[in-house]
Amino acid sequence: MIEIKNVSLWYDKAHKVLDDISGTIQCGQTVVICGPSGSGKSSLLRCINGLERFQKGEIIVDGISVQHPDTDIHKLRSNIGMVFQHFELYPHMTVIQNITLAPVRVRRKSKAKAEKKALEILERVGIPEQAFKHPEELSGGQKQRVAIARALAMEPQIMLFDEPTSALDPEMIKEVLDVMIDLTRQKMTMVVVTHEMTFARKVAHEIVFMDKGQIIEKGAGNIFFNHPEKERTRQFLSRILI
Amino acid sequence: MAGGLVLTFQLSLITMAGGLLLGIILALARLSSRPWLYYPATFYVHFFRGMPLILVIFWLYFLSPVITGKSLNEFHAAAISFIVFEAAYFAEIIRAGIQSIPRGQSMAAYSSGLTSFQCARHVILPQALRNMIPALVTQAVVIFQDTSLGYVIGLREFLRRVNLVDAREARSVELYLFAGLIYLAFCSAGSLCSQLLENRRQRNWRFD
Repeated sequence: MIEIKNVSLWYDKAHKVLDDISGTIQCGQTVVICGPSGSGKSSLLRCINGLERFQKGEIIVDGISVQHPDTDIHKLRSNIGMVFQHFELYPHMTVIQNITLAPVRVRRKSKAKAEKKALEILERVGIPEQAFKHPEELSGGQKQRVAIARALAMEPQIMLFDEPTSALDPEMIKEVLDVMIDLTRQKMTMVVVTHEMTFARKVAHEIVFMDKGQIIEKGAGNIFFNHPEKERTRQFLSRILI
Repeated sequence: MAGGLVLTFQLSLITMAGGLLLGIILALARLSSRPWLYYPATFYVHFFRGMPLILVIFWLYFLSPVITGKSLNEFHAAAISFIVFEAAYFAEIIRAGIQSIPRGQSMAAYSSGLTSFQCARHVILPQALRNMIPALVTQAVVIFQDTSLGYVIGLREFLRRVNLVDAREARSVELYLFAGLIYLAFCSAGSLCSQLLENRRQRNWRFD
């Protein structure tokens, strides 16, 4: 479970990246965050696993306060998988090396065990035959599936997705979304920043709309799409839903 | 003259090793967010990059006896000034190499629970080092040429020996042409190495 309590983040006082954000994400739920660029969605995601430090408020992940001085941030992060817009695969390593790096170095698994697990996960995301290639040889959709596999290899309790399909060619979006839909079915706790509204409608337990660092509106899928309360939400939806 | 060439090589290698070591320390200090590391290192780099090497050699050779009371021998004076001077250049190459790696790479590494040391060791440095190799080899070639400046404090490196032979034989044209050819040969070999490494690097990215 992720509890976000009155979180504010700013680089200079005049312009707040996050402005008093609160919310709770229950175990096994999928929350989709949408909103225009620069609204603070990605920053909020990075605050959850401590990649970004916020100035006010508190985030508690499975009972552990992210920014508390006593928190072992590396241990916390190892239980939270993250997937990025631009994949961020390590170009100097093969697919399987990408996947086994953290299990071997952080979890102290043996190489053989980590590789066996990696191949299982690659099977699950549908690209076992790519295991010994370099990221450069893969298509965008395949790269993103490797990135998801890399995150899953740590057997995380929570998965964070930062616009996972925004950099993909249209015909590759589905193969990535299918993997994500599969994860929600297996009751993974997920926070997804995306503009894929079909995906949101299908799997999200809650949809959050952010603008200028604030949460404008949130609600369950149907209510959010069919009866948005705020004018700003209607405006946004009318622009992205054609 | 062969003895001079050996000395030139010795001096080049010592400078490269020492300069690289000091350069790495300076580069890390320049990338640090701690002001007491960042500012001195930055000042150091800017200072020596704004100085002619020949002046640094003169300073060390003529000022160190005034300060310490003991005179340095030519080889030590030359080696120390080269290391101190070239470290500033190495530092910038290394810093640029590390900074050329996109921030997303370290974010991905941190997000999987790696410590900053593990992130540097397994993710950032292997990529940065490959990016740096051509620039480092080029700098090595420059150092090889720069050693001829040891001449000004009477170091008997290659060029000085050529000069001494000339004093005896009085055949300046042939001798200096010969010296030029020797420098050109070794520097070309160095540049060729750099080119080969760069080609291999591009190939490896895909297939190693």
